[in-house]
Amino acid sequence: MENKLFEIYKALQFHSPSLIVGWQTHDVGKIGSRVIDFLNEKLGGQEIAEIKPSGFFSLEGAMFENDLIQVPESKLWACQKNGLLTFKSDVPEYEQYKFLSAVLHLAQYHCKVKELYTISGTVSLIAHTAPRRILTVFNKPEFRKRLQGYGLEDLTWEGPPAISSYLLWLARRRGISGVSLWPQVPFYLAAKEDPEAIKLALSFLNRRFNLALDLTELDEEIVRQKEKIARLRDENREINRSIRVLQMGLSLGEEEQMKLAREVYEVLSYPCHCEPKAKQPPDEYR
Amino acid sequence: MVVRFYGEPELKKPVLIAGWPGIGNIGIAAVDTLREQIQAEEFGKIEPWGFFYPKKVSIKGGLLRDLEFPINNFYYKRLERKDLIFFIGEEQPSSQGGFYAKGEKAYEMANLVLDVAEKFGCQRVYTSGACVSPIHHRMKPRVISVVSSQKLKEETKKYPNTILISEIEERGNGGTITGLNGLLLTVAKKRGLESICLMGEIPDWLSGAPLPYPEASKSVLEVFADILGISLDFTELDKMALKIEGIIEEIYEKFPSEIKERYEQRKFVAQAESKAITEEDAKWIKEHIDELFKKGKEDGE
Repeated sequence: MENKLFEIYKALQFHSPSLIVGWQTHDVGKIGSRVIDFLNEKLGGQEIAEIKPSGFFSLEGAMFENDLIQVPESKLWACQKNGLLTFKSDVPEYEQYKFLSAVLHLAQYHCKVKELYTISGTVSLIAHTAPRRILTVFNKPEFRKRLQGYGLEDLTWEGPPAISSYLLWLARRRGISGVSLWPQVPFYLAAKEDPEAIKLALSFLNRRFNLALDLTELDEEIVRQKEKIARLRDENREINRSIRVLQMGLSLGEEEQMKLAREVYEVLSYPCHCEPKAKQPPDEYR
Repeated sequence: MVVRFYGEPELKKPVLIAGWPGIGNIGIAAVDTLREQIQAEEFGKIEPWGFFYPKKVSIKGGLLRDLEFPINNFYYKRLERKDLIFFIGEEQPSSQGGFYAKGEKAYEMANLVLDVAEKFGCQRVYTSGACVSPIHHRMKPRVISVVSSQKLKEETKKYPNTILISEIEERGNGGTITGLNGLLLTVAKKRGLESICLMGEIPDWLSGAPLPYPEASKSVLEVFADILGISLDFTELDKMALKIEGIIEEIYEKFPSEIKERYEQRKFVAQAESKAITEEDAKWIKEHIDELFKKGKEDGE
């Protein structure tokens, strides 16, 4: 592997750490990026290396989003005390094989990684009030066996592969055990954040690696988000009806889905200036 | 990038026949039909991961079974007149995305294919593709050739139903054969190999249609049969051609009568001079082609 593909800022000693990967491109419910950011912040992750963008991303001019210049990033952090490495990246536009091989080379030969976890949200036709599940894909049956008891559910799928599946497949060829975690995200939260699914993913990691993470701030986010949606339901009968249909386990027409997604997106895009409606019953009971 | 061999066939100055998908899948259908009918045997492949993103993943009960990549296989066959190597590529590699091969990856793949060909003593390369022409869809497509040397020009003129591209009006001054069906010839010529592209004609208005054009594949296949001195069974291609013809006729029925009238003249003029629809007609067809296909489907296709 050509070392010029990546740069190591800090060479640290590791003992079989686990690597947790989150993608920030098409990040459904912002699960991938939020989980990695949360871990890095709470566990004191130190930036130790990066994959260089040249050749993997179209570096033509400057991309911007919400007035901010966007730089393609592919960074590796170490949470040394917890035996964790985290990697957050944009999905490479080109040379995916080379890119993923570089990630695995960096992880395996420079950091001695033995286990790989990828985290991405999966769009689901459920209501935001429904309990989320984590769907999983393992690259080795023995690894799947080892993670029994965590309440993970099996995924079955045939079709175009996500970048995580490609990474998992390449990891297996190198003898690294891996799992892709796909927490469900209600489709109308996919373009925003889904703190409930983020919390679910973090809860799993908390248990798996004994991280003693305090997830209270996510509970607060969940309450705030639910209240915003509850207010929207109060104001908009059609939206209320659509969510109720989903709560009953029924499906919506394409147009209804689009409308619901659009309205929720808009309401979640505005900062909330109001106090939570204390007296309002939680929307689970409507 | 690696080539994996399953065997080392003993071949005597084989000819390489390579095919990738392109307009109307004319070339790949011809090459693959030939390979299948003479029962060429697979003997190697180019490992795909450096070139392509996987096209399919199979996950069952929470376990990743496998990833499926586009195939890039080598086959061989010893015929009485010639030994053959086939290369069939299911997709064209591209460094920057897109349907047609371009950039570093395309160049790399072309070189890998030719490395294998030369390893077995190959001195001539054939590729096949489509030539967009002002022909009527009820006319038999000709085979248009582009070659690497003057000597080959004389040779291909003797192929049945084949003309040089310079014989088509407006094409004499040159052009480009896009994608790997073209690039392979460039790299082959650079290596001193003889290279020939045999392109089946496709009516201009059908070149952007999401349909195969088996009539043209058949024309190319007839030329290969002649070169190799073999007889081939065209039943499957004929069946497919009949089906496609039905779809095309249905679309054609929906053309405005004045365009049809001008287009019909294409049947009565020599193909080399054929034009007979105006630029405006061509623009109209181009703008309405998707709509006409959609309508055809709604009407029961």
